[in-house]
Amino acid sequence: MPVVADVISASQTPSSKRGLASPNFALNSAVALVLAFTLLPFIYIALRAFEKPLPEILDLLLRAKTLQVLGTTTALLLIVVAVNIFFGTLMAAGLHFIRLPKAHLFILPTILPLAIPSYVFTYTWLALIPSMSGLFAAAFILILTTMPYMLLAILVSLRRIDSSLIEVARTLGLSRTAIFFKVVLPQIRSSISAGALLSGLYVMSDFGAVSLLNVETLTVSIQNMFKASYDRRAASVISILLILASIIFISFNEKLKDSTAKENISKRLMAKNTRINNSGLKVVLLLSIGIYTLLAVVIPIYVLISRFIGNPNPIDFARLTETAISTISVAALGAFIALLISAPLGLLISTHAGKYSRFAERVILIGHALPGVIIGLALVSLGSKLGPLYQSTLLLAFAYALLFLAKAVASMTSALQLVPSTLKEVAATLGKSKSRVTTSVVFPIALPSIGLGTLLVFLTAMKELPATLMLRPTGMDTLATQIWSYASINRFNDAAPYALLLVLIAAIPTFLLSVPRNPGEKVESYQ
Amino acid sequence: MIREDLKRMTKFGLIALSTVLAATVLVGCGSSDEQASDVTELTIYSGRSEEFIAPFFAQWEEASGIKLNIRYGDSAELATQILEEGSNSPADLFLSQDAGSLGAVAMADLFTALPEDVATTIPAEFIDSNRYWAGVTGRARVFAYNPNLLKVLPISITDLTDATYKGKLGIAPTNASFQAFVTALIENKGSAFAEKWLADLKKNDVRIYPKNGAIVEAIDKGEISIGLVNHYYTWEISEALGRPINAKNGFFAPGDYGNLINVSGAGILTSSKKYKAAQDLINFLTSEPIQNKFVEQTHEYSLIPGAAAPVGLPLLADIGAPAIDLDTLKNIKLTQDLLVKVGLL
Repeated sequence: MPVVADVISASQTPSSKRGLASPNFALNSAVALVLAFTLLPFIYIALRAFEKPLPEILDLLLRAKTLQVLGTTTALLLIVVAVNIFFGTLMAAGLHFIRLPKAHLFILPTILPLAIPSYVFTYTWLALIPSMSGLFAAAFILILTTMPYMLLAILVSLRRIDSSLIEVARTLGLSRTAIFFKVVLPQIRSSISAGALLSGLYVMSDFGAVSLLNVETLTVSIQNMFKASYDRRAASVISILLILASIIFISFNEKLKDSTAKENISKRLMAKNTRINNSGLKVVLLLSIGIYTLLAVVIPIYVLISRFIGNPNPIDFARLTETAISTISVAALGAFIALLISAPLGLLISTHAGKYSRFAERVILIGHALPGVIIGLALVSLGSKLGPLYQSTLLLAFAYALLFLAKAVASMTSALQLVPSTLKEVAATLGKSKSRVTTSVVFPIALPSIGLGTLLVFLTAMKELPATLMLRPTGMDTLATQIWSYASINRFNDAAPYALLLVLIAAIPTFLLSVPRNPGEKVESYQ
Repeated sequence: MIREDLKRMTKFGLIALSTVLAATVLVGCGSSDEQASDVTELTIYSGRSEEFIAPFFAQWEEASGIKLNIRYGDSAELATQILEEGSNSPADLFLSQDAGSLGAVAMADLFTALPEDVATTIPAEFIDSNRYWAGVTGRARVFAYNPNLLKVLPISITDLTDATYKGKLGIAPTNASFQAFVTALIENKGSAFAEKWLADLKKNDVRIYPKNGAIVEAIDKGEISIGLVNHYYTWEISEALGRPINAKNGFFAPGDYGNLINVSGAGILTSSKKYKAAQDLINFLTSEPIQNKFVEQTHEYSLIPGAAAPVGLPLLADIGAPAIDLDTLKNIKLTQDLLVKVGLL
């Protein structure tokens, strides 16, 4: 194996892509089809917004209130992303480099908050501190909610950084801090940017936390316009603003990315002596994991359990089970569809990065900033013309795939970029057929990351609310709609079992995410 | 290298997708109108929460032998969804928490007029002027207050801008029933009056809550001493917490706009082919025994003249509700602009 590893790290030249100079027609058309679907919400917004005369549109966009809401959204976004980058990087680096027994058990609680919807976070925190409200309260909740995206992204890339460079730096006598800034940070920059992107877009599209804490972001404005005045046109105009804001955010975010980022897989695993075995640092790490787990896992679950125990009403277990099953099935179907439709795009982006693929990637990311209610309405508008397909499980699952496609595409792209083209060429020169190369070389390497993306879609789909309310089959409940249903009549005790079950179900894939995926790594780090 | 596989994969994907799309279109065209006589199922969009309304639906299902497919959601969001679905709406009947959402659907001409023999028990003031919808239950605007903290009760909404209530009053400006009340104020007292009152409230450090329930909980905890809510929230919160709470309902002087009566109501969609069954459901919900059940179980007002009031509250006729046209409550745009202008929304 060391020979192969040397070959890989020695030849990272773009010329090795020669064999795939131009994307073929089928791939392009498949991507075009996916793009057509992802463009649906944008088309809907444009059609609705321009039903309004232009002066009215400008009026709405330029009024003081809109600018104020834009300011609030920007401030919230910057706070959450900045805090996430800072603590996320430190915590992930700590989890990776500091030697801890059973390290993955410490990773688990930092990723588990993925399972808790932001509105459940907010309800549980409000139960504890009823006066919580305002920008900083919302930032606090959203940091707790989105930190796992940051941690996951960075942890995954730390697992594949080139540790030989660290060793070289050490022999040159660089301090740990210097190694971190000069060797590690440049290699994880693009995943920090990916984490920042996912958390930022989450902040933009979140409704639950901000509305409960009285913070008016663009998404809250949009929802209020539907709620209070049935005004789909005004809401669409504000959505355009949200789209513009997310374009700006995405392009800023791209600056964060290392432009010289290259495909890089090092099969050389972290040598065991590069794990830091410093008790002072261990204490700091355990303390920060402890505090984050306390705020983001222990407290919400404690409140839910005490609500659950304090519930005077009997629990309908049959209904609970049925709801759980339908939640899992439709979320899983959504994740599967996301996997399917992200495949051609991921392949295009990873093998033929160009203007077209970058455009496709951006459209998908921008779509991720849109509130669920807009995607929901766009699909209502189209879906209601589709007869029996409307309000079917299939359409709901499709909506999930559209809503969370960015997560699948991001993982798919990075997974396929991981596969060095030299490796494929080596395999081919050894006489393997093209399809054998794909099945025996490309997929085994890319699979873990693709799985990660699929699981992320699954987890987020399970807690999705606004689009689910509009598109679920009439009469079908999901855990999220049941939580909403009870919370809307202030029956938090009755909502508690549904919320707990949601966390429990989500904990299983989360556990899988936190377990080291590479068996070799596991052995070495435990020795 | 993997081009061949890709080609095959995408080709397969394209064929599969186009097959699904084609099948959908075909099925969509094939569906025929159902006959009113052999109706077996009815689809309801219910803005009223399942917990409270489901027992009533179950009773009708049993009586009629017709199965109900019920889609629960927020009234305003369901109204928006119906507007988006237009003539393709799968819903037969829309049951809303408030008149505003019904008005929005009515304004888009998506309701079919109810014949004179439907909802005969309900007085004309609680039925849309075009008979597009009928009121089902009455919901009174009240002030809820903490009797331990508030000894002198307000007589009019204009009292609430006094220094006595500084920082002690809670409202929920995003809530549909609060906005309905402000709409009534604008429609009847003029927007200058409403604007000044709202601005004075804001100056008086009015506390903002996301919803009525949160206001009543805050009153119970003593965070605030009074709040503008609908009358049934004192029950709802007490039942949710499983204990008596420190909050009571109070009414303003007769005729004050703070005593507005709003209704939950129902309308039948133009897209429905099953209007006979839907009419039967409306007749059921507005029948005397069911109206009495609403009073007992959901603590709402029956709209039938002379019916008993929820325990401890005056009769509907004795509240001293302002005379308003419920139809005008859909004009929420102006209200929203005003709330935005004074900085409450």
